Amino acid sequence: MSPHDKNKVVVPIGPQHPSLKEPGSFKITLDGEKVERAVVEVGYNHRGIEKACESRNYMQALYIIERVCGICSHAHTSCFCQAFEELAGLEVPRRAHYIRGIVGELERLHSHLLWLGVAAHEIGFDTLFMYTWRDRELVLDLLARIGGNRVNYGVNTYGGVRRDLEPELMQDILLVCDHLEEKLKYYADLAMTETTLIARLKGIGVLTAEDVQKYSAVGPVARAAGIMADTRIIEPYGVYKEIAVTPITDDHCDVYGRTLVRVKEMLEAIRLIRLFVSEIPAGPISVRAPRKLPAGESLSRVEAPRGENVHYIRSTGADMPDRVRVRAPTEANWHGMSHMLEGFQLADVPIIIAAIDPCYSCTDRAIHLVGDGVNQLTDWEQIRLMGIEQYKARGIDPSAIKIREF
Amino acid sequence: MNAEETILKLNKKFPALEAVSPRHMRVYTAFTDPKSFEEALYYANEKLGYHKGKHIVGTDEGADIGISYILSNDDNVLLVLRERVPKSAPNVRSMGELYPSLVLHERELVDLFGVHVSGLPEGPRYPLPDCWPEGQYPLRKEWNPAYFNKQTMTYEPPKEDDAK
Repeated sequence: MSPHDKNKVVVPIGPQHPSLKEPGSFKITLDGEKVERAVVEVGYNHRGIEKACESRNYMQALYIIERVCGICSHAHTSCFCQAFEELAGLEVPRRAHYIRGIVGELERLHSHLLWLGVAAHEIGFDTLFMYTWRDRELVLDLLARIGGNRVNYGVNTYGGVRRDLEPELMQDILLVCDHLEEKLKYYADLAMTETTLIARLKGIGVLTAEDVQKYSAVGPVARAAGIMADTRIIEPYGVYKEIAVTPITDDHCDVYGRTLVRVKEMLEAIRLIRLFVSEIPAGPISVRAPRKLPAGESLSRVEAPRGENVHYIRSTGADMPDRVRVRAPTEANWHGMSHMLEGFQLADVPIIIAAIDPCYSCTDRAIHLVGDGVNQLTDWEQIRLMGIEQYKARGIDPSAIKIREF
Repeated sequence: MNAEETILKLNKKFPALEAVSPRHMRVYTAFTDPKSFEEALYYANEKLGYHKGKHIVGTDEGADIGISYILSNDDNVLLVLRERVPKSAPNVRSMGELYPSLVLHERELVDLFGVHVSGLPEGPRYPLPDCWPEGQYPLRKEWNPAYFNKQTMTYEPPKEDDAK
């Protein structure tokens, strides 16, 4: 060890996350305030989703896939349904493609608005955080009206969609788009002119075009380095075969570029939603899907808000998949994370991590474990009981409070 | 390079791969031994422009473990190159040097299928927890989650006598 090395400090960050309400661990080696090395450790959310799918029929598997992610659940089911439909040889009705497109772009809006709020919070710009999350509620209300849920809307099914869109609802979607467009133009202007925001985001978490290729980064991370990595454009599917997406890239290669890309993508999502609503054809919303798939395999991809989703299904001809593999966009974006962190300041770590818009549930596709002893995780009831004991020790007894049953 | 050109070149150089394209922008190959697979992988990387490592799919092939590497090129074609290794000695070499983006997926092969990947860079395991019992590979078909004791973190299949 050189005398210089003695001055280095390893800071373990996490698994309580430095920027999000999800678990991830980062071992940051510091030379002064400068990040010299970063080791990313994920896997805390591994739930065994792929194994669970292999022991359930295709319809049950679809409900599990919907829960890979709480934010981009529709992108996952769209990808999985596409893989199923390819193997089954199903021709999805045009109206269903349009509905999938509308829900998909609404999902992109709420995901990017959520991200913009988180990013603003990370840099101490909580006013913007409040604004964007307020606006996001409008989108979530629409999604709740479409599917009955703010997340996990359950719109997709094999061969089409489960929910039609009534004219009145589509009018309300357009009204929300009008309202949001005005707000988003203001946020775009803010992102391009607000000096503190620019100074805080520009030049940090750099991932160049060469790095994007090397680490196979996807989504806004790749597009902010000038790489046109958008599945809706490079391999159009569903409604995107009929209505083209305007390419959005940026050449800043940093957190600022990722911000600009996402803000512009929200305006593009609004343009697309309006087009989808005006062009949506009449007709059926689904075709009958078989219970069993013929033997074969399928590799499907769609553009989730965070980037390219890739799903793999292998069938042996049974009513349940032989193998399911989900490669979520965050899983692709972790590889470049150490590179993005190294060389920057410790204070920049949270916003650099947040800038890939990481989703741990997606990455880990999670075996839920409960128990006691050393090797265990704790379930919600145990956490509640621990909380009661802690309060009791302080002279307060909350054990009489009844938890509402859902 | 599109899918058709990829198939022509791959099948000419490595006929055993039996590359096919069942749909637009996809190329699938047959399972092959690790040595032939490595040659094909380097050829795809250096000569055919498949320089993006997308992901890896491990599969249980009965007595073997199948490993499908999914690569992509500038034309965004997805190429699935595969190798198979016996479950009794599932040894492969890490391709992380060629495709840094596949390291996390190779760690998955180690944890979920029990594949020995030599040459993996140092780093934390993924995705199973540190306390996961040795020798338990959840994505092998013989591994039944019903026999996993979540309290003790031990895998306890019924003994043959119990089954009778």
